[in-house]
Amino acid sequence: MSPEPTSLLQGTLDLLILKSLIAGEMHGLGISRRIQQITGGTFVVKPGSLFPALHRMEEEGWISSFWGESENNRRAKYYRLTKPGRKQLEAETERWGRITWAIAQALEAS
Amino acid sequence: MPLLVKARSFLRNLFLSRRVDVDLDQEVRSHLEMMIAEKIRAGMPPHEAQRAARIELGGVEQVKEQVRDSRTGAFLDSLLQDLRFALRQMHRSPGFALTAVLILALGIAANVIVFGVLQALVLRQLDVPHADRVMTLQPKDGGPFVSNPEMRDVRDSNTLFSAVAVYEFQDFGLEANGVTRPLWGCEVSGQYFEVVGIKPFLGRLLERVDNDHPGSEAAVISWSAWQSDFGADPHVVGTKVRINKHPYTIVGVTPQGFRGTEKIAQLDIYVPMANEASLDGFNWLESRSYRNLFSVVRMKDGVTMPQVQAELNTITARVARQYPKEEEGLALKLARPGLIGDFMGGPARGFLAGVMGLAGIVLLAACANLGSLFAARTADRAREIAIRMAIGSSRWRVLRQLLVEAFVISILGGACACALAWMALTGLAGWHPPTRYPLNLLFAMPQPSLILIAFLIAVLAGVLFGLMPLRQIFKTDPNEAIKSAGSQSAAGRRWALRDVLLAAQIALCCVTITAAFVSLRGLGKALTMDLGFNPKNALLTQFDLSQAAYTGDAADHFQRQLLERVSRIPGVEAAGYANSTPLSGDTLVSTVFSQQSVDFRPSNSAFYAYYYDISPGYLTAAGTPLLAGRDVSFTDTAKTPPVAVVNQEFARRLFRSEHAVGRYFKNGDGVSIQIVGIVADGKYFTTSEDPEAAAFFPISQKANTSTALIVRTRRDTADMVAAIRGVVRDLDSAVPIRELGPWNNQLALSFFPIQVATVALGIFGAFGLLLSVAGTFGLASYTVSKRLRELSIRVALGAQAKQILSAALGRMLILLASGSIVGMLLGVAASRLLSAIVYQASAHDPFVLAAVACTTVLAGSLSVAGPVRRVLHADPATLLREQ
Repeated sequence: MSPEPTSLLQGTLDLLILKSLIAGEMHGLGISRRIQQITGGTFVVKPGSLFPALHRMEEEGWISSFWGESENNRRAKYYRLTKPGRKQLEAETERWGRITWAIAQALEAS
Repeated sequence: MPLLVKARSFLRNLFLSRRVDVDLDQEVRSHLEMMIAEKIRAGMPPHEAQRAARIELGGVEQVKEQVRDSRTGAFLDSLLQDLRFALRQMHRSPGFALTAVLILALGIAANVIVFGVLQALVLRQLDVPHADRVMTLQPKDGGPFVSNPEMRDVRDSNTLFSAVAVYEFQDFGLEANGVTRPLWGCEVSGQYFEVVGIKPFLGRLLERVDNDHPGSEAAVISWSAWQSDFGADPHVVGTKVRINKHPYTIVGVTPQGFRGTEKIAQLDIYVPMANEASLDGFNWLESRSYRNLFSVVRMKDGVTMPQVQAELNTITARVARQYPKEEEGLALKLARPGLIGDFMGGPARGFLAGVMGLAGIVLLAACANLGSLFAARTADRAREIAIRMAIGSSRWRVLRQLLVEAFVISILGGACACALAWMALTGLAGWHPPTRYPLNLLFAMPQPSLILIAFLIAVLAGVLFGLMPLRQIFKTDPNEAIKSAGSQSAAGRRWALRDVLLAAQIALCCVTITAAFVSLRGLGKALTMDLGFNPKNALLTQFDLSQAAYTGDAADHFQRQLLERVSRIPGVEAAGYANSTPLSGDTLVSTVFSQQSVDFRPSNSAFYAYYYDISPGYLTAAGTPLLAGRDVSFTDTAKTPPVAVVNQEFARRLFRSEHAVGRYFKNGDGVSIQIVGIVADGKYFTTSEDPEAAAFFPISQKANTSTALIVRTRRDTADMVAAIRGVVRDLDSAVPIRELGPWNNQLALSFFPIQVATVALGIFGAFGLLLSVAGTFGLASYTVSKRLRELSIRVALGAQAKQILSAALGRMLILLASGSIVGMLLGVAASRLLSAIVYQASAHDPFVLAAVACTTVLAGSLSVAGPVRRVLHADPATLLREQ
């Protein structure tokens, strides 16, 4: 695994965050752990990448935030998917599918 | 929708930045705590869990900074930071900030003012509807004038103009409510107001029928005349007035803001040209060779200039064939109207372009000056910049901060410049040139668009000098800069950008200094030059008897009586009159043929000469020396053979010798005229002209209502003015005196262009000098302060004052000298352009070269004197201890 895969794949991080939020609202740490889990540990999102992405996506209107209580009664900021966020997720998923297909084609060609 | 969300976050980030920040802080901290808790739950000891979590997080502040950078409006936010930093910097060194703003303000103001005048006089069109379709026609070469039949031919045979008109300026005696007062106006042909295309403010404008012969007695007045002479009377239409004693009815008022088809004149009354004979005293409407009219035409929509020019060529070629004698070589060209036809167009464009160039040079020099100051400051801040880069600031960020500083200064300078330019142009617009003509510069009233121009210039200047330290920043190596902090080993070893800038700046300033000296020298020459007459101790009285309905013999009778009465006033040394005086502006030109000529087409003429109709005694009163022969006399009458007094140049051109008394020449009508006297050469039309031929005819052989009485006196001016006014009033109180005062007052107009030029160029010269002194001083003291330690070691080791000086400032002297020489060469080359306006302008004048050289040397030594003192008086012991 290369040292900073997330920074190489800008769009990927957005996609992963959106995807992890489909399961329900989550705080930052939760999102980061969820991504780690669903990618089988391939992607470890550091706070330095996660928070800028979250704030940017909130400004884009894809996710919204609110303060809530964490599982062990700490104050934590939660994020949830919005309607435009869902649309964005669909679009990104479709785009990603096209890219992986194209890359796979390219690599198979001799 | 997303846009709205974005806009909301932008505003929130901008205005609630504190709350957003606190929120972010809490979020990151809670994240950290949750990570610690997670690790403790996984079995780590608490202090280790804390450490691991912190490492994973990578620093609370760093994360926060990364989030801030990703936010909408992050750019603006950091820009505001830069702005605050720039203002703090300026506050810390107010002297530098003030100097920089002032230098820029002056540099930008000079450009904006010149551009304002350029825009008013050259770039802006007349204030009439669809001004782009309005043009003037004027002969391809020679003056701007056309004759009435010529334009009638164009009007009747063209297909591309919607209207064609001619007009002539005239000063009228307007009698309203029992008072006669002189008023400038226009005699206009029938389609004039169709060309202009305005709607009347009151009543109607003059129409084609008003110019059917005989013309109707209808007059249109301007809005300002309606205000000042008729008290803004709403019922002014229908008012009976008398113009030059002839009854007229006011039929309309032009709208406010309409100032005729001239940009620099205020014309207040418009009458039909068909009445010209009764107003002027003689009839020129049918004369092809009497060219005294300006033309204005309106092109039809969609017609192009080449089309119009082609048609004009066809028409003029036909007219020239039809009237081979009068219209030989007739050719008309299209030009923009507004500057006395287009007569002043060429000189005005040339002069303004030249001055604009100088203004640009001054601004460039100012930018070079500020640029080198900035570069020096950047060098001083090398350590600070290196530290900023070392802790992660990008070069772009550092550069942006410097640029913001430059912009703050340039925008402040631009704002000050705007205020300065506004005041200057408003002053200019309200000012009346010293002349009897209705000239003013109301057209130069500043336009709001100038603010934009000032802003653009300011931004441009800001970029120009703000980017000077660019190279310095990009080659900064944080490691090196911090290690060698303060030792500044580079200063004084290699040629730095600031050295080149200084040389360039001195060269540019030298150009303006040279220009200033050239024009000063020109003014000096002009003020002491031989005019061919002596305006000192002479009074000039001017009026036109046609305004009081005099013609021919009656005028002659009046003038003789006046001369006789005035000559009897005690204190009068000499008196005489003429139809006009040299350098008065209304000077007539006529063709001269040799005695052998039989073909009187203009191309066959020997030369053109200025001519004047004068009374006996005029030459003495004017102080024009009679070199040979006799003065004109009242015994020269219409019944005796025609005679003339001519000047030396006339005789030289015709006979190649000055022995011309008793010999003959012929005028354009083929009449033989005997030369009875020779007078000294003088200036007739402009003070900068080459020697021109002039002829003086006895006014008693051809009466003229236009009267310019010259009275040479020993007595007090005020008494004499009152006495002369009394005599004129005694003879006929209805004669409106146009001008009465010292002759010098009228000549002021002739010296006006060169005075304007000298003032303008002088200001630029002074400014250039100031800049070069400031620049040299700045760099010299900077160099010295940087190397003071090294120099004091040299002193301690026993170096002589001379060696120290050459080490410290040798390079400065090379820069000064090379900059000055290049500048002077450039100035000499550029001063050719000045010769158009300045009498005998030449930079090859040793006086000018010496003056420029002296000035630069003086300024140079003055500006390095301070730093030199500092070097020589430096005490090595104290200095070395301090550092």
